[in-house]
Amino acid sequence: MADRLYDLIFICMPTTPEEEVAKIVSTLEQTASEHGGKVEKVERWGTRKMAYRVAKQREGLYVYLALHSTQGTLIKELERRLKVTDAVIKYMTVRLDEEIKRQQKLVAHREHRARRRPRKPAAAPAAAPPAAPAPASTPEQQAPAS
Amino acid sequence: MSEQQSVPRPSGPSGGSREGRPSGPGGGPSGPRRGKRQYFRKKKVCRFCVEKVDFIDYKKVEMLQPFVQERGKILPRRMTGTCSKHQRWLGVAVKRARNIALLPFATEL
Repeated sequence: MADRLYDLIFICMPTTPEEEVAKIVSTLEQTASEHGGKVEKVERWGTRKMAYRVAKQREGLYVYLALHSTQGTLIKELERRLKVTDAVIKYMTVRLDEEIKRQQKLVAHREHRARRRPRKPAAAPAAAPPAAPAPASTPEQQAPAS
Repeated sequence: MSEQQSVPRPSGPSGGSREGRPSGPGGGPSGPRRGKRQYFRKKKVCRFCVEKVDFIDYKKVEMLQPFVQERGKILPRRMTGTCSKHQRWLGVAVKRARNIALLPFATEL
């Protein structure tokens, strides 16, 4: 299966000790490697205020993971694990590879257009000199006609 | 600007009449006015198009915040001037951010 890119964010209870968060992350990394995936990036956003209350908490410990996966079962397993872990109060996985593909396409398209555009002004001065005599010649052509 | 001189188009699509009718304080920029309705409205430009954003990241809350009302509503295009393409992406991003409690669904009192 094609390589897929996911964002995985989970929120822990604000009281969770640092070691436990590290433990959760390491188990997630392990399961990822077992299922032929790979955790690319781990970011700890620390404790931040949540927009609404979750599990009677107003704050949460945010952890962000970026991961590659070749099997759909990996995400299923990761989410199951997060669900089972008591310290985790919320999690979300988002598949991003298609959007990134779209983004790359747009960037490529823009670059293609940007590469074209400078050529036009460069071509315009070259085209202008032939064009400039042309209007001068046309009155002459018209004059004998009239 | 050029829109002022070419008045034949009486008003923009909806909402224009609201701004056009009262020839009150904030009307034209200066000078005596004739019978024609004159008003000046700055053309709104999609902020994402200006900055050439190809992907609206749901994780950047500061970026999404200006397009969300205090109570959590997504602001309509006609208010923010966002183009339809970016508004679509924006909606997706806001909804994702809501899901992970970065943005509110609706603020409780």
